Amino acid sequence: MIVFLLRRLFLLGTVLLGLSIFAFALGYLFPGDPLQNFSGLRYIDSTQRDLLISEYRLDQSYLAQYLAFLERIIAGNWGLSFASQQPLLQEIWQVLPATLELTAYALLLSFVLGVPFGILAAIKPQGVFGKTISGLALIGYSLPIFWWALLLIMFFCIGLGWFPSGGRIGVLYEIPNVTGFIMLDIMYADVSYQQAAFHDALTHLILPTLVLATYPTTVMIRFVRDAMLEVWDQNYIKTAKAKGLNRLQVLYRHGLRNALLPVIRQIGLQFSALITLAMLTEVIFSWPGIGRWLIDSIYQRNFPAIQSGLMIISTLVITVNMLTEILHTLFNPLARKS
Amino acid sequence: MAKFRLYLEENNRSPLAQLWREFSRQHSALVGLTLFASFLLFSVIAPFITPHDPYFQADNLLLLPPSWAPDGLVQYPFGTDDLGRDLLSRMLKGTTYTFGLALVTVLASLMAGLALGALAGMSRGVKSSFFNHLLDLVLTIPSLLLAIIIVAILGPGLANTAWAIILALLPQFVHGIRNAIADQLKRDYVTAYRLDGANNWQVLTRVVIPNIWEKITVMSSMALSTAILDIAALGFLGLGAQAPTAEWGAMISDSMDLIYVAPASVAVPGLLIFAAVLSVNLLGDGLKVAIQKRRES
Repeated sequence: MIVFLLRRLFLLGTVLLGLSIFAFALGYLFPGDPLQNFSGLRYIDSTQRDLLISEYRLDQSYLAQYLAFLERIIAGNWGLSFASQQPLLQEIWQVLPATLELTAYALLLSFVLGVPFGILAAIKPQGVFGKTISGLALIGYSLPIFWWALLLIMFFCIGLGWFPSGGRIGVLYEIPNVTGFIMLDIMYADVSYQQAAFHDALTHLILPTLVLATYPTTVMIRFVRDAMLEVWDQNYIKTAKAKGLNRLQVLYRHGLRNALLPVIRQIGLQFSALITLAMLTEVIFSWPGIGRWLIDSIYQRNFPAIQSGLMIISTLVITVNMLTEILHTLFNPLARKS
Repeated sequence: MAKFRLYLEENNRSPLAQLWREFSRQHSALVGLTLFASFLLFSVIAPFITPHDPYFQADNLLLLPPSWAPDGLVQYPFGTDDLGRDLLSRMLKGTTYTFGLALVTVLASLMAGLALGALAGMSRGVKSSFFNHLLDLVLTIPSLLLAIIIVAILGPGLANTAWAIILALLPQFVHGIRNAIADQLKRDYVTAYRLDGANNWQVLTRVVIPNIWEKITVMSSMALSTAILDIAALGFLGLGAQAPTAEWGAMISDSMDLIYVAPASVAVPGLLIFAAVLSVNLLGDGLKVAIQKRRES
C-alpha cells in the first residue's frame, strides 16, 4: 500500500510538473509579447521592462526562465490580470468558492438521485420501470446543457416566475464574504435578515444545481445500473441465492457492496466533466464563478488569466482524481492486489 | 442465458451479419440508426435542398412566425429570424456545420489516435510509460477547457474549433486504443501468430485491428456525441462559429435576445442538437449491446 501511495505521489508530481511546463509554454504560445503575458502588465516602460526581464530571466535560456516562472508560482506571485490589473491569485480565490459550491451540490444531488435510481433500474431491467429510467437517463445524457438551461429559464423564470434567472443572491441582501461559500457565509453572518437571505440564496441556487446535476446524474444512473447488472450475473450472487437469502439480503450483503465500490472512482471521473459543464452553467445563470471568469477572460484576450485559470482548474481536477483513486484502492481489496 | 432449441441449427454467419442481427433486434438502436442516417444525408445534401438562401436577408419578412401560427407563411415552415433569414434553410445548413463537422473531426482524431495508440501499444518500457503519463496529464484537463485554451491561442472561428476539438478528443482515443491493443497482445492467438513468424506490423494489421474495431466504433460514437456538444457549446459561447454562420449553437446564442418574441428560434436549433446527440447515443448503445450479445452467443 505504501509503495502504491508513493507511486501515486510520484505520478502526481510528474503530472503537475508537465502541467507547469505547459502553462509556461502558453506565455509564448499566446499572441503578444511574452513579457506582458507573464507579468500581466498592460503598459511597460523601458526601465520597468529591463527590470522585469532580469527578474523573469527572459534574457537567459528557457530552462532558467521556466525555473523563475516556477519560483513565482510557488511564491504566489501569479502576475496581474490584463482586465483589472489586480493580482490574479486574489481574483481566483474570490471566484473559485462559488464554483466549488455549485459543483459540490450538483455532485451530491447526482449521488442522491443517481445511485437509488440506478439500482431500481437494475432490479428489473426489462420492466416498464427499468426501461423508463434507462430512457430518461439516455435523454438527460444527450441534452445540450445550455439549451436545457434556457428551457428551464423559459419555463420556471419567465413562465411561472418561481425562481430568479441569474446571480447568486438578490442585491437587497448584503452578506460579508468570509468563506466564499454563500450558504456558509449566510449562516455565519450576524444580520437580521438571515432567514430571508437564506431563502433567497436557495431560490437562486435551485436551477443552476438542477441544470448542472443533469449530466452527472444520468451518467451515475447508467453506471450503477450496468455495474449492478454485471454483479448480478456473478457466481457469488448465485451462491448467496442458493444459500436461501432473499432478494433484499442478497442485494444488500453481496450486490451493493460490490457494485457501489467503483462509484467512488466515478467521483473523480465526474469531476472533470462537472467543471466543464459548470463553466457553461455559470455563463448562462451569471453565476460569479471561475468558469464565467475564464470565459470572460477569453473575450477580453486576458491571457495571464487564462493561463492561471488553466493551472488552478487542472490542479484541482488532478488532485480530486488522484484522491478518489487512492480512496478506491483503500476500500477495494481487489484493486489493491493488482 | 441458454435458450431451449428444438432443432440444432448451426449459426455460421459472418461476424458482421451476426452483429447486424443482434443490432436490428433493438428497436431503439434502429431508431437511432435512422435518425443518424438522415442527419448524415442532410449534412451532405443540405446546400442543394435549402428552400431559400440561408444568408439572404428578406427585409420585408422580419421575424415571421412559424407556419403553424395564424400569420405564418407556408413557404417559411419555421419562420424567419430578426434579419429575415429563413430558419429552415439555416437549420439545414447547420446540419453540415454542427453534425458534419463533428463527424469529420472525429474521423480525423480517430486516424491520428489509431496511429499514436498503435505506436504506444506496441512499444514497451520507457517510451510506453512516458506516453502513459503524458496521456494521464492531458486526460485530466476537461475537453471543453482544452478546446477553449486552443481557441484562445488560435483565435475564434469554425476552422480553429475543428482543430481544437480534434486535439481535445485525441487523448481519449489514444488511451482507449492503447489499452485495447495491450489487452489483445496478451491473448494466446497473438502469441501463436508470433510463433508463426509474424512481425509487429503483421500482428497489428491482421490480428489486433480486426479484433478491436468494434471497440473503436463504440469509442467513436461516444467521441461523436462529445464533438457535437462541444462544437455547439463553443458556438454558443461565441468562441466557435462566428455570427452569420448557421451553426446550431451559434444560432441559439444569436436568438437568445429574441426568446420572448420568437421562442421557436431558440427551441428548434436546440432540439436538433439534442436529436443529433440522441441518435449518436442510441446508435452507440445499440452497438455496445449487440457486440456483447454476439460475443456471448
